[in-house]
Amino acid sequence: MINQAILSMLWNGTLDTLRMVSIATFLATLAGLPVGVLLTTTAPGHILEQPFLHRVCGGIVNLGRSIPFIILMVAIIPFTRLIAGTSIGTTAAIVPLTVAATPFVARLVDGALREVDAGVIEAAESMGATPPQIIYKVMIPEALPGLVLAVTVTAVNLVGYSAMAGSIGGGGLGDLAIRYGYQRFRGDIMLMTVIILVLLVQGIQMLGDAVARKFYHRN
Amino acid sequence: MIEFKNVHKTFEGRASVHALRGVDLSIPSGEIFGIIGQSGAGKSTLVRCINMLERPDSGEVWVDGVLMNSLSPKELSKSRKRIGMVFQHFNLLNSRTVFQNIAFPLELARYPKKDIVERVTVLAELVGLTDKLQGYPGQLSGGQKQRVGIARALATQPRLLLCDEATSALDPDTTISVLRLLKDINERLKLTIIVITHEMQVIQEICDQVAVMENGTVQETGRVVDVFTRPRSRAARSMLQGFWDPKLPSALQSTGNTILRLTFANQKVHQPVIAQLVRTCGVDVNILYGRIDQLKTAPFGILLVELAGSNEQRSQSIAFLQENQVEVEVFNP
Repeated sequence: MINQAILSMLWNGTLDTLRMVSIATFLATLAGLPVGVLLTTTAPGHILEQPFLHRVCGGIVNLGRSIPFIILMVAIIPFTRLIAGTSIGTTAAIVPLTVAATPFVARLVDGALREVDAGVIEAAESMGATPPQIIYKVMIPEALPGLVLAVTVTAVNLVGYSAMAGSIGGGGLGDLAIRYGYQRFRGDIMLMTVIILVLLVQGIQMLGDAVARKFYHRN
Repeated sequence: MIEFKNVHKTFEGRASVHALRGVDLSIPSGEIFGIIGQSGAGKSTLVRCINMLERPDSGEVWVDGVLMNSLSPKELSKSRKRIGMVFQHFNLLNSRTVFQNIAFPLELARYPKKDIVERVTVLAELVGLTDKLQGYPGQLSGGQKQRVGIARALATQPRLLLCDEATSALDPDTTISVLRLLKDINERLKLTIIVITHEMQVIQEICDQVAVMENGTVQETGRVVDVFTRPRSRAARSMLQGFWDPKLPSALQSTGNTILRLTFANQKVHQPVIAQLVRTCGVDVNILYGRIDQLKTAPFGILLVELAGSNEQRSQSIAFLQENQVEVEVFNP
């Protein structure tokens, strides 16, 4: 039976999930964007060509992306304690979520920035633009729709990850689904959390698409 | 004044491309200078060596007394602001409005906001885009985009404008209007324009001098009239061939008569040379093909004529034409 208590639990779980996802997305974007810029601009033939740095940086990003989230989450528990003071709960879950999403953001940013027309960068160079000017005034603004979509994909991914974080006491909807839906055989609660998650993902994607469209001026 | 001294450039890669093989070239100030060649001749690389978008492997590039290869990144950034560049595919920023695109180089050079508005207004008027300033490049036609590109290139008041195949992506009518704009800019602002192209028409319409490139070297340089009327290099002749000469029906080529290709430049266009020829040498002249055109501002004409008469009369005729400063070439050997 769905009663007031369960509804408020679902409501709080939703807020917790939103909090985890939004903060982790924000922090991962903050950390991943410069790494993505570094990946693109140090590539051979690009404005800050540094083949060695490019390879090292790419290697680290790939390494970060290849560790399954569930293992990463457990493996960095000491680090999580150091940052959040605890390894249990919503706040603690933000740490592994951010760590997992940063290399993901970096790779997506790299992909979006590589789409910027080389001719446009050349034009900026011909006007005497310095590398920082090219990054801030050309590459990022030109790639903005792609960057917004990259952040959107990251947020959607983090919704999924945050549900996984529930399995080790991360809080949020995933936590609810496991403790009530799975362990107490409450199929109705499980169904409700899944429906809320689906709606969340839909909402995030729609928002991301709308913002990206606003920055898209190609035609 | 721009000078190339023995400039070499090779692109390393899976297959190395020796793009420039010792280019020596000087380009005078204030004129429109054309560089023509087939694709792969090295013209784009050459023009990019002027503002160091490509660094030569060896040799010197001088622009107004400054050795460009020796500049520090900071000095180079500064001197690039004195060199405008226009591109085949416009290379506008899609995320910026037309206004912001023209303002872009001014922003980079940290002009005050008020000066930027003033300057963009003047430039928009110059290229005829005053009513499009708030639109985005994506909403413009190719010709309008190139006008934005030209306005942007002129924003920081450069002394030199480089055009890399600026009209190659445009349709014929738009090409003419963009070329007219470049000619107009050259006259009004007295700046040097270097035009890279593979189209003879571009050279014909606006250039004062031309350099013909092939295989990474300059084959021939000179005033456009001279190169068009008396091409010395094989490369220049082959570029001109498709441009001027008609395909004569084979039946005509096999007549026993001599077919001459006459080229009239400048004043000769106005004189009745053919009538004089008939009277003086007593030959019959049959006009097979004629064309009159303009090289920038100078009139220029070509006639293919058939001469009937004795051998003596024919050689007399050729001598007469040459005396009258008409370029003569025997068309059927």
